[in-house]
Amino acid sequence: MTEILLEVKNLKKYFKTPSGMLHAVDDVSFSIPKGKTLGVVGESGCGKSTLGRTALQLYEPTGGEILFHGQNIANLSKKEFRQVRTKMQMIFQDPYSSLNGRMTVRQLIAEPLIVNKVCKNRKEIEERVTKIMDTVGLANRLSMAYPHELDGGRRQRIGVARALVLEPEFVVCDEPVSALDVSIQAQILNLLMDLQDQMGFTYLFITHDLSVVKHISDEIMVMYLGKCVEYASASEMFKNPVHPYTKALLGSIPIPSVESCHKKRQLIQGEVTSPVNPKPGCRFAARCPHATERCRQGDIPLREITPGHFAACHLI
Amino acid sequence: MDERIKDEILKIEDLSIQYKTDLETVYAVNGISFSLKQGETMGLVGETGAGKTTTALAVLGLLAERTAKVTSGRVLFEGQDVCKMSEHELQRLRGEKISMIFQDPMTALNPVLTVGEQIGEALYLHNEQELSKKEIDRKVEETLEMVGIPRERKSEYPYQFSGGMRQRVVIAIALVCNPKLLIADEPTTALDVTIQAQILTMICDLQRKYGTSVIMITHDLGVVAETCDKVGIMYAGEIVEYGTLADIFTGDCHHPYTEGLFGSIPSLTEDARRLHPIEGLMPDPTELPEGCKFAPRCTKCMEICKTCQPGVWEKNGHQIQCHRFTENGEVKR
Repeated sequence: MTEILLEVKNLKKYFKTPSGMLHAVDDVSFSIPKGKTLGVVGESGCGKSTLGRTALQLYEPTGGEILFHGQNIANLSKKEFRQVRTKMQMIFQDPYSSLNGRMTVRQLIAEPLIVNKVCKNRKEIEERVTKIMDTVGLANRLSMAYPHELDGGRRQRIGVARALVLEPEFVVCDEPVSALDVSIQAQILNLLMDLQDQMGFTYLFITHDLSVVKHISDEIMVMYLGKCVEYASASEMFKNPVHPYTKALLGSIPIPSVESCHKKRQLIQGEVTSPVNPKPGCRFAARCPHATERCRQGDIPLREITPGHFAACHLI
Repeated sequence: MDERIKDEILKIEDLSIQYKTDLETVYAVNGISFSLKQGETMGLVGETGAGKTTTALAVLGLLAERTAKVTSGRVLFEGQDVCKMSEHELQRLRGEKISMIFQDPMTALNPVLTVGEQIGEALYLHNEQELSKKEIDRKVEETLEMVGIPRERKSEYPYQFSGGMRQRVVIAIALVCNPKLLIADEPTTALDVTIQAQILTMICDLQRKYGTSVIMITHDLGVVAETCDKVGIMYAGEIVEYGTLADIFTGDCHHPYTEGLFGSIPSLTEDARRLHPIEGLMPDPTELPEGCKFAPRCTKCMEICKTCQPGVWEKNGHQIQCHRFTENGEVKR
């Protein structure tokens, strides 16, 4: 049995808003073995980014535990936590707004090293920056460029370099490729997977793109309005989706082949309802074509349908 | 053949556009040609910087005045050259006959005007039938319902709408004057898949209803497969492959760049540990390589590719700009 690197138990994150409590992440549990990838999919507003950020303690969790190497990171002192933080990094979603426009590429990549005081002298910083730029495929001539001069793919490479320059063990990738072109997206995905093979990174990969998540993940969690509605291995999830939301999500993907072009698609109506003070019962009930009275009463726990495949639905 | 599909509404001939600054010249579009008939949808696929949006802006006459220059070619909309029109003529064209759906619904709307005012604005400006305020109001309400927004919401502001709803507002603005040509610049890139599916279905339904021609600019080949009749694959300011949907998706002959694009998409049906992306990056549009623009990244590059610009191979309307094909439709070995 492989070592569990990160374990999250009953994680909750609520935000206080003028109209009530916003349940961004509501009672989510998962664990990721070392060197594996957990994909989190869902539509915007389902709490997947909050989940990633809370797992890194960028937000204070409302409830639940986060165990990194079996150690609860909430109990650490500031100094100890700084140590752990260098091992847990994040690649942000938008390469256009997550980089300081007044810093050069080199300064941007060196910043985490300086902030965390991991290098002894300037020379070491320079060396590590040069090395990571090479690893992520940024040409050395770009080191004095500013982000606005670069295209999205190169900017995202800066984001990847910034996260990986500290040589972390656990990386939260928050939609790292959604702002990129397909050929660049493929390069970044290959890069992330190659680096995982070489350095044994563990990823929490957040995305809304189902083909990407299938490609990169070992296990997949589908979220809807703060809840995990289905959890299974990547191949199982795509072969036998059981939750109506997962089915709808899979049915919405435009498939790049001609056969798909005139088929009638199963659309789900409406949009995600508000996560503020959610009603009891299944959160998908309002859009679900199969919803019954029973779905609107009481919380629906995750049940194991087949070994390793969990879903939260009464109807299965 | 559909009855409505007959007239050529847009014809682009050998269009080249450069952006000139004191420091450098950007060769954004390099001699592209295509035509669009009424009711047809054409997909323009390519990476960032391929010149897709510049082409779209040229059709609308919206190119930056000081820097952008059309160096050759013509853009004929209903037989008239858009590049030679005066600003006054262009203003009558934009919004009324040609309109555009912008990529990012979050920034395309004015935050201090209600959505009703923003949709009505196009009608006030192109008020040829001299509609009264009331009639315009009614038209705005109709348009809102057409895109699936309750009419009561017309006096709300953009921040009160979700992303998908805002994109519907942007589409309503584009369609309120019943344009003949709609340019959709990545209309669903910023949206969730379930909302994307709703919006694409809506665009297709509206197009069928009003016989609008659409240029769909996208990088998502899945979106192309679901919506388009014709496809142009753009690379470094050129259309490297052009054909019907079937030519591009099931045909035997392809430009190496097209093959690379397909290899970059993670498949939902097959398992593969690695993708096969195209190595390298787009060439710098200020210093395009001699010969074939794709040669430096091409796995099938030959000596001739590095020095000589390839001609266009054509078979039943399927065009490929590559040295590997000869005039006889044979693949050169």
